[in-house]
Amino acid sequence: MEPLVKIRNVEVRYDNRNGGLVAISGVDLDIRQGEVVGIVGKSGCGKTTLLKVIAGLVRPTRGEVIYNGTHNGGGFRGIGMLFQSPLLLPWRTVLKNILLPIELRGEDVDSYVPRALELMERIGLKGFENSYPWELSGGMQQRVALCRALIHRPSLLLLDEPFSALDAITREDMWMLLQEVISYENYTAVLVTHDIREAVLLSDRVVVMGGRPGRVKAEVTIPFRRPRDLGLQYGREYNDYVAKIRSLLGD
Amino acid sequence: MVSKAKTFSSVLTLLAIGVTWEVAVRLFNIPQFVLPAPSAIVNTIARYSNYLLYNLADTLLASALGLFMAATFSLALSVVLAYSDSVREAIYPILSGFNAVPRAALVPLLALWFGLGMVPRVLTAFLIAFFPILVPTLTAMITIERELWEMLVAFGASKSQVLVKVAIPRATPYFLSSLHMGLTSAVVGSVIAEMVASDRGIGYVILSSTSRLDTPLAFACLLLLALITFTLSKVLSLVERRVARWAYRANI
Ligand SMILES: Nc1ncnc2c1ncn2[C@@H]1O[C@H](COP(=O)(O)OP(=O)(O)O)[C@@H](O)[C@H]1O
Ligand SMILES: [Mg+2]
Repeated sequence: MEPLVKIRNVEVRYDNRNGGLVAISGVDLDIRQGEVVGIVGKSGCGKTTLLKVIAGLVRPTRGEVIYNGTHNGGGFRGIGMLFQSPLLLPWRTVLKNILLPIELRGEDVDSYVPRALELMERIGLKGFENSYPWELSGGMQQRVALCRALIHRPSLLLLDEPFSALDAITREDMWMLLQEVISYENYTAVLVTHDIREAVLLSDRVVVMGGRPGRVKAEVTIPFRRPRDLGLQYGREYNDYVAKIRSLLGD
Repeated sequence: MVSKAKTFSSVLTLLAIGVTWEVAVRLFNIPQFVLPAPSAIVNTIARYSNYLLYNLADTLLASALGLFMAATFSLALSVVLAYSDSVREAIYPILSGFNAVPRAALVPLLALWFGLGMVPRVLTAFLIAFFPILVPTLTAMITIERELWEMLVAFGASKSQVLVKVAIPRATPYFLSSLHMGLTSAVVGSVIAEMVASDRGIGYVILSSTSRLDTPLAFACLLLLALITFTLSKVLSLVERRVARWAYRANI
């Protein structure tokens, strides 16, 4: 089957005052329908840049990105994004924050309310629809951001270190929630992280990036069946994958 | 409900200042035309109440009209300048250049063009109040966090959607709080205009009373002006907290 996203020989050069900086170069990557792809790499190796290229926020200076086999992304239902900070609008209630993408797409907002409420229940936000973001903890705010990323059933979910600002326990809760919602609605997702354990636990495939300029160093398939259990972390096989990816990252 | 104790201590401080002032004036026999005692000022307010209120109302009307114009114009201009980077780059330097012109110096010109009536006073209030409202409002509109902006674009937002759904709501508390500065600026503007080119208003009364060495009347004007501006500022704060409650979350 044709991959959902094909990234071919992509280079991104940022122009800044002291000349140009090649953030990523010669990146080839396929993202297949229904797959969770983890991207790990050290800080500054171009993970966010690669994600922005996929999102169409940054134009590659060389190479191309092809969605659904076409250049204009026919049949592509858009993307959902989740960043490290929840980026909620403080003057809107939780429900209205979640419905923002629908509003921006000019679709009928009211008809999405049932879906929003269902998502909220699934993600553990039941009863918070009329709260304001500042009334919620950081973990709860990130759940709202996850609902907002999913409300329009995007074809592709892009996650940029979404849990790195959370404490360890909340983070594990969020891993399980994310995994559940991804399986339930069969999302295709790209998860950028610098946490190897997170990448191995959640991904079908882990892409290891190296820096200067950013490029794909290796790809490691993680064969465990999804959904996975938090207990997997204490098994030998899992830790072998973590160790393997750690050594691929180099120093 | 933090404020009860604070209000009480402010009132107490004011009372203490008033009493000290009164005692000092009597003790050192300070002539009234140099520094009138608080009791003399209050007496004057009572005696001239009609005259003072009439002129105060005049000043307030000029200030209010000027402030209204400044607020409307700043808001509209902020939206335009936030929408178009190129228009902003072209116009903003001109505006800051204009802000460097001492507006008080324009009053004689305004009087020359528009006579001694309401118009030069409203215009002076407008010209002084406008910039302090524009700057914070526009700044709030154009400093949306990069990541938020990218997320909105990724969701398919157009430039005008970003403006309407994010930039303008985001700027609302800044706009409202800038109205405090705008209010005091507008009052300063109309009072200056009244001093230079008017036969009415608190500014005119201050000027004419000091030229007659009627210092208590001048002080009465200052006191009333301060009181009313303070009260209006409080009203603005109430509106602010209603309209942009989310911006005060830390204080709730
Ligand atoms: N908008 C930009 N302009 C200039 N340089 C940038 C920009 N964004 C990122 N970079 C640079 O590109 C490199 C890769 O950044 P990024 O993709 O954010 O890495 P990562 O997400 O892996 O930490 C870094 O050296 C960073 O400083
Ligand atoms: Mg990054």
